Amino acid sequence: MTSETVDRVLDTPVHRHRMPDRNFRLWLVFPAVLLLLLIGLFPLIYSLVISFQNLTMLDQDTSFHGLMNYAQLFRDRRLWEAILHTLLITAVALPLELVLGLVMAQLFLDHMPGRQLFIALIVLPTIISPIVAGATWRLMFDQRYGPVNQIISWLTGQQQVLLWTVNPKLVYPAILICEIWQWTPFMFLILLAALSHVDRSQLEAAELDGARFPRIFFKIVLPAIWPVMAIAILIRGVDLVRIFDVIWALTGGGPGTMTETISIYTYIQGFQQFESSYTAAIAFLIVALMSIVVTWAIRRMGLAR
Amino acid sequence: MGLLAKWASMLAVTAFAMSAATGAHAESAAERAVKEAQKYKGQTITIVWEAGLQALDPLNYSGPKWEKLTGIKVKVVEVATAEMFTKIMQEYRAGTGAYDALNVIPSWMPDLAQAGALENLDPYVEKYGFNDELQKIAPTYRDNQMKVNDKIYGFPDDGDVFVFYYRKDIFEDPKTKEEFKAKFNRELAVPKTWAEFDEIGQFLTDKYQPSMYGAAFFRQAPYAQFMFQERFRNEGGKFFDADTMKATINSDIGVKVFTDMRNENKFMPPGVEQWGFTENLAAFLAGQTAMTISWPPYGRWAAGYGKDEEALNWVPKSTISGKVGYALPPGGHPELAAGFALSVASTSKNKDAAYLFIQWLNSEDTSLERVKLPTALRDPFRDSHFTDPGYLKLWPEAKEYLAALEEGSKTGLLDLSLLQTDKYEEVLRQAISKLWAGDDPKAILDEAASQWDAITEKIGVDKQKAVYANWAMKSGAYPK
Repeated sequence: MTSETVDRVLDTPVHRHRMPDRNFRLWLVFPAVLLLLLIGLFPLIYSLVISFQNLTMLDQDTSFHGLMNYAQLFRDRRLWEAILHTLLITAVALPLELVLGLVMAQLFLDHMPGRQLFIALIVLPTIISPIVAGATWRLMFDQRYGPVNQIISWLTGQQQVLLWTVNPKLVYPAILICEIWQWTPFMFLILLAALSHVDRSQLEAAELDGARFPRIFFKIVLPAIWPVMAIAILIRGVDLVRIFDVIWALTGGGPGTMTETISIYTYIQGFQQFESSYTAAIAFLIVALMSIVVTWAIRRMGLAR
Repeated sequence: MGLLAKWASMLAVTAFAMSAATGAHAESAAERAVKEAQKYKGQTITIVWEAGLQALDPLNYSGPKWEKLTGIKVKVVEVATAEMFTKIMQEYRAGTGAYDALNVIPSWMPDLAQAGALENLDPYVEKYGFNDELQKIAPTYRDNQMKVNDKIYGFPDDGDVFVFYYRKDIFEDPKTKEEFKAKFNRELAVPKTWAEFDEIGQFLTDKYQPSMYGAAFFRQAPYAQFMFQERFRNEGGKFFDADTMKATINSDIGVKVFTDMRNENKFMPPGVEQWGFTENLAAFLAGQTAMTISWPPYGRWAAGYGKDEEALNWVPKSTISGKVGYALPPGGHPELAAGFALSVASTSKNKDAAYLFIQWLNSEDTSLERVKLPTALRDPFRDSHFTDPGYLKLWPEAKEYLAALEEGSKTGLLDLSLLQTDKYEEVLRQAISKLWAGDDPKAILDEAASQWDAITEKIGVDKQKAVYANWAMKSGAYPK
């Protein structure tokens, strides 16, 4: 049935008679929109309302307190330190995951024996729950039972006491190792798919013209995979800003608050200390900051086109 | 009938009358709870319990037994300790009535009671005649872990107390004793002070390492903060200035305790800073450490009690059975660390049934069975538990073990319990993790004290001062 046939059929009197209300289409999507509003917009608005109140563990004070909680945000040193820690982890982990993922994808582009099996094995960490990954790495780094220090001791020929989850010099490397181990395969998989679709004829032509690998990569490959790569960077970037589980399992945010990220701090304020109104204000600060950053990133990466 | 015969017959009648009267009131609290609960046959009550071994009590023992006796089903919601307060408060705020009965750490009780999450149990105690048996709970727990503002909100149900465990065979080894005496000019004996402990710990490490170290403790911050609370008060420290409510944990005593705690790590096994409950247990049971401090289950497991239980197959086999001595930790006032009380949720829709279940659990009869369960972690908390002939025979050294627990229950120190206690404890946890990371003890405690002051100011100095004064008056707040 062609589109003209469909139009003709629908224009017949019988069908016109059966034609429902012209807003029928809107009614069809209405439940879905309502549901989305309920589960998305309502909590947002409700949180906004709460952020102007003073709900704490002991007080259920729903009177209007103006910008009290928002003013407190600017005096809360621990909050800004948590934001700084989050940015630090993102700034280090994201490029490393990207570069490693790209290198691995490049290596796996060519056919080799057991390629599918290796890809499946490499991707395994991404399907593990981050809290389990964190707990597993905590054991791996354990001085008494963990293999990491045992291997290092074996390699150096003497017992090494490396307190990965205690020593301030080692806690960030420990977190980054775990995070990169788990999420580099995600980058690898996406970039492998992108690289597989780069036009082979262009690459062969460039090689025939004597272009070297770096030039081919930056002039042909990178522009071709950029849209996919940008999405991968964005997804991982947002994930890293939200990082919670791995650090919670590895260090609990310590020593002190040295590895406390914004998600951990928000959780503590909201669900351990029940500072509900202040937590709502933190959430809005994060939403605002993230909206600015993501909008900027989308424009900068050319994803909006 | 002579005068003597008259007196004899009167005495006999009186005795009969008394025995009849006693018989009429001989119904135990457990029996009464069962009888009353049968009215609620067919209902289901939900109880929040600490996840893991603790929960085996209601899952495998008390829950099924209660159902058999009363027809009331017990649904157990297992929650990790660190999440219990959050879950209870969240449910209370949501007001769904999802929980009927609760396990509550006593130091949380002021927060939960003032928030309205706990049911006042006084009317139920009266209604179901539990008062007499409540009085038989060991005084420290009964007088300190049951009430908020003179109202009952929970029944103390776990005699958690820190016990000092040491290797008797090492302490009694003639050669070791001789060497120790030659070096320190005194007998090798259970340390009464932390200075003595440090000497013995270093001495044994020097002599036996790496096969055995002088001592080890759990050092992860959530556990170590209890040890700090204990040592700080044993050394004479006070948490606050009672007049101003300014924190005083950064006093010279606090700094000394912090400094000593870190120095002690040097004679403990490498990496002890990462150790939690299990790591410390494993090392002690494997004979790799000569002294440790922990909760009572260490003593039972070290003796091999319950070793054939499937649920305990994660506990390393004890290599030191029969070689363990029990004592009070140095200072003589052990921390009554954590513990549990049984409460009824104020949002419960089955309050009577829930109450009757916890009365039955906490009663003389049932609690005695529960503290003897090899898999469960409830520790003796009633006077009768410490002298029960059955318990005394559970393993050869059970008598000494129970004596140490009973002594601890008399001299023990309560966890700090204020409004929003977790905020203060969180500061301590962070301070301890900074201590292990190598920061300066004085700087850490100055920062911690300033954070405590900020918390107090936010809550309200006068409000918190009243709560602190109430807590500080309790017999277990500070050493007397």
